[in-house]
Amino acid sequence: MSSRAEAARQNRLRVPHRGGGNRQQNEELETIDYKMVTFSLGGKDYAVDILKVKEIAKFAGFTFVPNTPPYVAGVFNLRGEIISIIDLRIKFGLPVEQRPDREAECGLILRLNDMMIGVIVDSVDRVVGINSARIQPPHPIFGDINIKYISGAVEKNDRLYIILDVERILGRESEQTEAPRSERTEGRVGALAEAMAGSGPAPAGAKKVQPGAAGAAEIESGQDQYELDLSFIKEALPSYAQFYPSAINDHWLRARYDQWRRERAAANREAQFASPDEAHEFLKPFYSQDTGRFWCPELIELFRAVLPERLRNTVTVWNPGAGKGYESYSLACVLKKSYPDSTLKIWASDNDLLSISTAPNLVFRKEDLPDFYHDFIVAGTNRHSFAGMIKDSIFFEYHDITHPNAVPEMDIIVARDVLSYLRAEQQASVLQEFYDKLLEHGLLILGDNETGLDEARWQRVDGARITAFRKR
Amino acid sequence: MRVEYINPFVEAAYGILKEVTRGEVKRGELYLKSTSMPVLGVAAIIGLAGDVEGRVLLDMTKDTAVKVASAMLDGMEVEPITQLNEMGKASITELANMITGQAVTKLHNLGFKFDLTPPAIFTGDNMEIADTGVEALIVPMELEQGKIEINVAIRERN
Repeated sequence: MSSRAEAARQNRLRVPHRGGGNRQQNEELETIDYKMVTFSLGGKDYAVDILKVKEIAKFAGFTFVPNTPPYVAGVFNLRGEIISIIDLRIKFGLPVEQRPDREAECGLILRLNDMMIGVIVDSVDRVVGINSARIQPPHPIFGDINIKYISGAVEKNDRLYIILDVERILGRESEQTEAPRSERTEGRVGALAEAMAGSGPAPAGAKKVQPGAAGAAEIESGQDQYELDLSFIKEALPSYAQFYPSAINDHWLRARYDQWRRERAAANREAQFASPDEAHEFLKPFYSQDTGRFWCPELIELFRAVLPERLRNTVTVWNPGAGKGYESYSLACVLKKSYPDSTLKIWASDNDLLSISTAPNLVFRKEDLPDFYHDFIVAGTNRHSFAGMIKDSIFFEYHDITHPNAVPEMDIIVARDVLSYLRAEQQASVLQEFYDKLLEHGLLILGDNETGLDEARWQRVDGARITAFRKR
Repeated sequence: MRVEYINPFVEAAYGILKEVTRGEVKRGELYLKSTSMPVLGVAAIIGLAGDVEGRVLLDMTKDTAVKVASAMLDGMEVEPITQLNEMGKASITELANMITGQAVTKLHNLGFKFDLTPPAIFTGDNMEIADTGVEALIVPMELEQGKIEINVAIRERN
């Protein structure tokens, strides 16, 4: 266990202020709440969040596209869908292993917002589950890849995986290549590269690199500044974006802040928000998959994977923060499909009168909807709407969830990205209400980035790729 | 409160108030409230039952009540009042009845079944209504005679 102790010690060295006693204890628990697909690039281990990976693929016979940057390998026909392929090794200036002619390249298909992109890697390794609390902030010594593309690093089974930030690598391509890098980032990377030179390139050895005494002091004071800057961000979010940092979203917030700092440094700008727009920009990656639209088939499958096999004859669902109703209708269809013999009752509410008023009469075009929904819709005069059995199962209410909630006991509560928009004390009382209203076997679904619940009361559903909890 | 219930109440309140006062009516921003609240001076209340449980409360100052009642009486060519006497109270009660009755009729046409209780009127100074545990929709209406707040709380029977 000495390597664990060593890792823990290093943890504290790198992030001396991360959380008080409680958090520290939580971090020691080995619950797996983060899965990543690992692969190698230039002989080192890297990983990406499994939620960003659509599939693992072999690419052969793709079409070269002229006048593109050298790292664009071409376009590829993935079962009828044309996607671009990027060679990560070229993009990062790593040595490319020559393959025998015509042998397929290994790769991953990544999902980025609506878009899919293929990336070529040396080889895909496997899926590794870790506790997200053990992900450490990125450190320039971790690899050959520019620090701004790294969202963190984690050690598992004596291997050090560098977790790449998919959004940064694939998103906003032009912005990154043109943005001037700040002197400071440049300087730090340079200095640490020098430190690296003595210790050899092996990634597994990287964690054992001890910064010199002066370096440690620098990191120490840097951490104070870091925490201070982070606290300004945390104070600005409520007033600029009505977003309330708390234990529930802390994990995401820190990871996002690290990324944000790098982005801003690269653009030679302060990390602090100059306007509400920037706070909204900061929060963009927070929103859960398929926010404000119908759930896509993948999300439906992820949700179905956590559903119990049987529920009561009447299935009750609470869906606060329903907005225009897309999520509630998606839920109704999934549950109708999963429990065809049960009566379904969904209480869907929102405190935005304009949005929720439109929900009962939602219309759409059939072709905008995945096939999954087609059993549940009826044609109107020029648009489609949901069939009576779906509509009648949902009560859309104009309601503020911090007011008394007159709902019965629930089988399922779906409140994605709702709690983070309530003040901290309201978060606690609403969460308590969720706890009280949820039946023993019930499920609580929170936002993709709302993972920090009290582990003494809530248990994360094993292996779930959405944020699902049960009562302990 | 179910969103389907909101419009019938807003429309009924707007329509009836405009009709009985024969003046300008301006609807304020709708909002939700759940704390106990002071009553302006005159409160007419009607209970709702049936598929749902709830109540409608019309709240206004005495001065507004007298002016609105006078406008209503004037419309029926009855002598206006100067203070909130029996006739005044009966007029305000009737106003509450008309608004709620029309809203419930609209709701009935949409397929929701509501029953009404007979209206009651409360008057006095420094009154407060405390029904914490109930969330109410507030529909503020600005009339030439003053402000009337229509306070609707309805919940489904589970």
